[in-house]
Amino acid sequence: MGVDQGQAIRETLLKEIGKCRACRFCVDVCPAYQAAEWVENMSPYGRLQILKYLINGTLNKDDPLVYSLYTCLQCGRCNRVCQAKGQDLEVSNLVRLGKYLLSQGLVKGKKSEKV
Amino acid sequence: MKTVYWTEWARGPNLPRSGKTVLLTARMYQMLPYIMQVTGLIASAKPFVSRSGFGAMVNLGNRIMGDKIIRLKSLGSKNIRSKSKKILLGITNALSTIGQRPAYLYEDEPYSGVLLYDLGLDEYIEEHIVKVYRLLKRHNVKKVIGVDPHTVFMLKEIYPRYIEDYDIEVKHYLEILSENDEALKKSCKKSLENEFVIHDSCYMTRELGIIEQARSISASLGITILEPGNTKLDTACCGGPIEYAFRDLTEKVSTTRIQELANISKNIIVECPICLINLSKYEKEMGIKVWDMGELLLEAF
Repeated sequence: MGVDQGQAIRETLLKEIGKCRACRFCVDVCPAYQAAEWVENMSPYGRLQILKYLINGTLNKDDPLVYSLYTCLQCGRCNRVCQAKGQDLEVSNLVRLGKYLLSQGLVKGKKSEKV
Repeated sequence: MKTVYWTEWARGPNLPRSGKTVLLTARMYQMLPYIMQVTGLIASAKPFVSRSGFGAMVNLGNRIMGDKIIRLKSLGSKNIRSKSKKILLGITNALSTIGQRPAYLYEDEPYSGVLLYDLGLDEYIEEHIVKVYRLLKRHNVKKVIGVDPHTVFMLKEIYPRYIEDYDIEVKHYLEILSENDEALKKSCKKSLENEFVIHDSCYMTRELGIIEQARSISASLGITILEPGNTKLDTACCGGPIEYAFRDLTEKVSTTRIQELANISKNIIVECPICLINLSKYEKEMGIKVWDMGELLLEAF
């Protein structure tokens, strides 16, 4: 990933996450959140917050919280609810993009680095 | 024919090796015995990986023996192996009933790369997509008939993002069959008069919009479809996509879904290999039967 491409993805993610009104409709429909017995970092809203803090440097790549991104099933139920009741965000795709940013570090073995 | 694990099923139908339209299984159904073994091995190794020193040992063991162990153990998964063959035969029989005899790429058949996409490994996806596209062009493929929603989603929605002037038409077999409902109905040798509850796949409905096709084909086969509470665009996930990393979480997701389905009928229809493998593991325990649409097509034709 080039620097420009990485920066473009970070900007896209922050802009899109900024549109979230925190209505949390996506939280209740997420099968992983239900299965994890209501742990919010395993919900679509929680994953977006983790991504935001990962990008702005509050969290690091090796923080265990970031692994919550990988609990996303990519099932798209959150997208449907956001489309109907929220801001029409492609939440699962934003999480997938977050995994892409993370993979740059995980695959190349970098740790403790700000995304 | 060179025999590789994904071409074993194709001995019977003897599909042509080349043609403008190809049936692309992308090895998804054929990989099921291996997926079962891989996820099982990962789950057994997981408690040791986090212990100091064990991670490196597990990694080394995997490099030396991992592939052999998985291949050997998967030979024991006879049920799922035979189910996979039946599904693909059912699909080709049904297509042949409506006059469609696509080509099959046999040992050249590629995997779509959907796992790379799900994991966000985009830099590897691009390389893979270009490779697959070139292979399809080398075989002069103009149209692809997919048998699973993940492959169809990749080839239809994701490949065009990476390939300029992408010119391959992609359809799921359910779309093609449903366009020929009447012909299917007339050729149906055995009416499957029974009630089945349907489990829609997430990718099939929310990404591809293929919803009514399975219902209309089922009606042509004499099947009465029952709908669960979470159905069509609001369908619930089987838990499959994260099984490699979070087996406990996956099991909770799949248990919730199978209970919802089993409360309606003991006969369940699925239309995706990942859903099949995740939901059929409850067959004995719950006294249910999970049918892939391909198996029903084999019964009917």
